[in-house]
Amino acid sequence: MTNSIAELEGADVLLVTGSNTTETHPQIGRNIITAVDHGAKLIVIDPRKTDIAKEAHIHLALRPGTDIALINAMMRIILDENLADDLFISMRTENFIALRDYLHRLDLDELATITGINRTTIHEAACLYARSSKSVICYCLGVTQHTCGTDNVQAVANLAMLTGNVEKKHSGVDPLRGQNNVQGACDMAALPAVLSGYQNLADIDVRNRFLAVWGREVPKAPGLSLTEMTHAGINGTIKAMFIMGENPVLSDPHLNRVENTLKHLPFLAVSDIFLTETAKLAHVVFPAASFAEKSGTVTNSERRVQLCHQAIPPIRNCKPDSEIIMQLGRRLNCPGMDFDTEAEIMEEISLLTPIYGGMHYDRLAKNWGLQWPCWNRDHPGTKFLHKYYFARGKGCFTITEHQEPYENPEKKYPFTLVTGRGSYHHYHTATMTRKSRRLLREYPEALLEINKEDSDKLNLRDGETVELASRRGTVHIKTKITDRVQPGTVFSSFHFFEVPINLLTLDAMDPKSKCPELKICSVNLRKVKHD
Amino acid sequence: MIDLKELILSKDNLIPLLRKLKKDARLIAPIKNEYGDTLFSEIDDIDAMKIDLHNQPQASLKPFFLPQQETLAGYTVNNGEYSFTPPDKAQDTIFFGVRSCDLTALLYMDLIFSKPSKDATYYDRRNHSLIITLGCNQPFANCFCEATGSGPYLEYGYGLQFIDLGDRYFVSAGRGKGADLLKKWAYFFREVNEEDQKKRYQLFLEARGQFTRNIQVAHACQKLQEEAVPEEIWETLSRRCYDCGGCAYVCPTCTCYSIDDMAQGTNHGIRVRSWDACTSSGFTRMAGGHNPTDRSRYALKRRFLHKLKHDYAHHGKPSCTGCGRCVDICFGGVDITTFIDLLTTQKTT
Repeated sequence: MTNSIAELEGADVLLVTGSNTTETHPQIGRNIITAVDHGAKLIVIDPRKTDIAKEAHIHLALRPGTDIALINAMMRIILDENLADDLFISMRTENFIALRDYLHRLDLDELATITGINRTTIHEAACLYARSSKSVICYCLGVTQHTCGTDNVQAVANLAMLTGNVEKKHSGVDPLRGQNNVQGACDMAALPAVLSGYQNLADIDVRNRFLAVWGREVPKAPGLSLTEMTHAGINGTIKAMFIMGENPVLSDPHLNRVENTLKHLPFLAVSDIFLTETAKLAHVVFPAASFAEKSGTVTNSERRVQLCHQAIPPIRNCKPDSEIIMQLGRRLNCPGMDFDTEAEIMEEISLLTPIYGGMHYDRLAKNWGLQWPCWNRDHPGTKFLHKYYFARGKGCFTITEHQEPYENPEKKYPFTLVTGRGSYHHYHTATMTRKSRRLLREYPEALLEINKEDSDKLNLRDGETVELASRRGTVHIKTKITDRVQPGTVFSSFHFFEVPINLLTLDAMDPKSKCPELKICSVNLRKVKHD
Repeated sequence: MIDLKELILSKDNLIPLLRKLKKDARLIAPIKNEYGDTLFSEIDDIDAMKIDLHNQPQASLKPFFLPQQETLAGYTVNNGEYSFTPPDKAQDTIFFGVRSCDLTALLYMDLIFSKPSKDATYYDRRNHSLIITLGCNQPFANCFCEATGSGPYLEYGYGLQFIDLGDRYFVSAGRGKGADLLKKWAYFFREVNEEDQKKRYQLFLEARGQFTRNIQVAHACQKLQEEAVPEEIWETLSRRCYDCGGCAYVCPTCTCYSIDDMAQGTNHGIRVRSWDACTSSGFTRMAGGHNPTDRSRYALKRRFLHKLKHDYAHHGKPSCTGCGRCVDICFGGVDITTFIDLLTTQKTT
């Protein structure tokens, strides 16, 4: 997030796109609802009528996968209405002329047709967003999990820059991170082409700094992305894999390929707090300690690094992940794998990661954490980003063009399947939440949301089991008839191993981010005949 | 012979007295832990632990009488023969530093667990307990016990009630065990004089004026007896309720529970009782999937009406004790005070 979470409550206009905020980020959802109660206007872009969409003053229920067309249309309207922030554009950005010329060539009626939303509604939303100087955009995986995910994000950034809605309090672009520490994992370079703190792997100075501390050369070629690793098949380049706290056998798209890849690995080690579906395929399983059994930090959506204290000693022979890594490292003769405390690990992180430069344990303990960038011990942390300049200097407008989803509905597969989280009672593949009887009772099984118009056509009852098939696989799933989804679209979660919905999803991915198009694939629905 | 109903304890004598009490029973008091949280905890070493009487304990006494999870019984099968293990027996326990609201809540639980017959494990623990309360001279930020008739001082129900008079405590004894204690340890105390009495009443008067929140509980209870709650209020509340159950779990009078039989292998099993919450949709969902309380609109209806309408009708007072814990815990901001405010600020038609 370029903002802090608390800033959302002070925004005048909130544009939430591709995020079922109240269910997936209830804490942030609460901030948004409070903002609305204080008089802020809410625009929600989502094909589904989610709870947050019901709160919206304008709900743009677009056809799945048409985000760019919608945002381009909004930007064109902003230009036409003379609502662009010329001063911001000239001081902070570059390449505006190219974008402007491109937008002027677009036909608004055509864009409206692509998105399935009428032109007046788009017009209203565009003006609402642009007229306020405290406009915030929150987005989530509904924007990124597309073959055009990177462009979707770029379009969102263009919109914010066009109206000058960055660099100040209560305005910005906020990707909502899905896990308590996914921001931290990215910050610590669990990404293919960067070192910690997003330092470029290609930069020799950066690599030398790490060499000095680690005593080992850092490989200069970027690694592989997740999907490239888990979808490589039998003859993949990877021979051994160590998976920590992830369950790709359920969470990645096109599951048959994932399983095929992992099963044929010469060596697979998995570290998790429970024996997951992925761990069952492993040659070695490390029982890891849960959050309550260890100390350390997590970094949340607003870049806040927070200390967590151990509440109970590890159960039986479980070990914290850091201990597992250090022991492995020592046995592989890796130098420096002898940290005595978590604080010592943090000191090395601060040393090697400029944005974490001042984040020492004693400071974190005092301040309810610190938000990066925090360059040194005197730095108070950063509430919102991009004041005075963008990370790259000037913000660059990049033209984004609408592209159709990889799969569109056709005769054999007439429905669009959208996947996501189904309820806040379960998290992801439910490896943890299903262990709680109460949570499981609240949401006990997988459901397929389907519009009444479609269920009537197929003569389906509520709760009836149907066969859901894509070009890649088939599952059986119970229906839930609802107006949350539009006709022609069905929705399901990926929480339940009994209904591995990712057997159906696509591994076609965004060429830049390598993020697969988990949000859209074409499916067919069939009544299951009972004899 | 001095009157053993009311006595004065110098603050210097508090720890010596507690040390004596600890010899005969488990002693539980609000303790500040290393993270700065104040919780009712058992005192092992009275000199090392920090008894904190300035902050409200985060949890009430509920977990000590209705544990979050307890084994009611166990069974083992051997060659077709069943043998049963009874639940653990309760220990004699003295609770010190309990606030008026939490004792009032316990008296309400006594009522709930007495019908249709006395709940065995609850009453076992209750009969082995003695409660020493501390009247509140300074209510906490979210408290409204005055409005629910459960504080800031109590008139009955306690073993002993302590009132802080500055350098000394004004101690009143309830019936039974409390009076026995005073008799046994009489040498720690002195008699009450007129000045002590005056100061006590003065502090009581002042305490009642210290509440920062004005919650119209009685008005709400009466209104609920007379008219239905407007639908919009339920909708306003449910859109902000995340049915996390936090309010029910911290509530000292929420007693919903579920009982599960859990097999522990092929020949052994246990029957477990654990906290539940009527705000969970699974709590009211029937086998066929039908649910009388639709979460999307009525998430909190059952809970609030139980506390303020039905209990008021049955017992003459609401079963909310104004402890304010749900106000702290609810991150959606739809605790019982929000409901009461919405209800009582609505114009009557």
